[in-house]
Amino acid sequence: MLTGTLYSFAVGPVWITDPLSGFQVIISAFAADRILLVSMAIPIVFALVFGRVFCGWMCPQNTISEIFDSLADRIMLKRLLNPSPSPKIRYMIMALLILLAPLLGFPVANLISAPGIISVQAANYIYAGSVGVELGLLGLIVLSEIFLVRRLWCNFVCPQGAFLGLFRTGKTLKVYYREDEEHMCGKCYECATACQFGLNPMGGKIYPLCHNCGDCITACERIKAGGKPLSFKF
Amino acid sequence: MQVIRMSRKPVRPPGVHSEKDFLSKCIRCGKCLQVCPYKSIHMAGFFDGLSVMGSPVISPRETPCYLCMKCPPVCPSGALDRTLKDKKKVRMGTASINKKECLAWQDTLCRSCYQSCPIFDEAITMDENLRPVVDERKCVGCGICENVCPVDPAAIVVRAGGDNR
Repeated sequence: MLTGTLYSFAVGPVWITDPLSGFQVIISAFAADRILLVSMAIPIVFALVFGRVFCGWMCPQNTISEIFDSLADRIMLKRLLNPSPSPKIRYMIMALLILLAPLLGFPVANLISAPGIISVQAANYIYAGSVGVELGLLGLIVLSEIFLVRRLWCNFVCPQGAFLGLFRTGKTLKVYYREDEEHMCGKCYECATACQFGLNPMGGKIYPLCHNCGDCITACERIKAGGKPLSFKF
Repeated sequence: MQVIRMSRKPVRPPGVHSEKDFLSKCIRCGKCLQVCPYKSIHMAGFFDGLSVMGSPVISPRETPCYLCMKCPPVCPSGALDRTLKDKKKVRMGTASINKKECLAWQDTLCRSCYQSCPIFDEAITMDENLRPVVDERKCVGCGICENVCPVDPAAIVVRAGGDNR
């Protein structure tokens, strides 16, 4: 049985809680509930091993943004701004919200949790037959991503994704680029083109913004020539 | 679009300690609302204020809490006391009677609240003149009395607040 939303849900006896939600409770209530800690640990361990796979595989906002991004791409829409991806703004927003939570006495970051709000309103529709204006956030995100900045939310705003991204070690699953005699790279840039976040896996730092969706690896494998220089590696 | 106007401090599901404690611990996941078999719990919306948006609220006049105690155990963050099982120890609020509106206090026979109170003959008792009296130490704040009151608006209402005993 599945109950809950993406802030916290239960699959039978297994409870999973959004680490940022739980962290805000801990610092604003000065209480570390044991069940809360355990339910936060599951996604944290998952992130430590596989990276931010939640973003690519579970977050409804990512799916929606992805669909609209490919649509916008198909009609060759030009965005107003084209900033280079950087996790700094995201970290600043997250830090501000985390600071505000104990000051204002409620989990402030949950006000702009895209996956949380979408799942809560979906549940609301199922249980109460109505949706709230909070869902407007989804519209704002989509519109700004189509016209303003490509993949604005995930790359520059999302505090939940930023928090998950903190849990990384050298052994976390990563997109691995190797160029040697066996793995020839034709520098076709298909991988970088495939990435909606504007990351270039052929060089440079792609973490913590990369969430291991694997689009670049798929694009690389589609190229007939060459020796597949991109792969997942722990 | 769902708008729940909250004119007074909202009544929270059973297991709440205080409004301040509740707001800081509730992560707005909505699990309590999903397990409520009576749909007594609904979600505060954007227009109720940002600090309460998404949090669970009970409007007793619409649907009171029937104290089935299914929601406290599912709370992931401890906003609702998971260990609370005894319905007599619930303290969601306290009922108070508006004696100017209450039929029994106006010498008309009525014992709707007295008869439907789940803490029967303890939280609400009848005095020697057959008028209902609330014992604030025993009232759990479920709001069933407010729900069944024949006067409109209800002559007995639950005010949120108080700690679990």
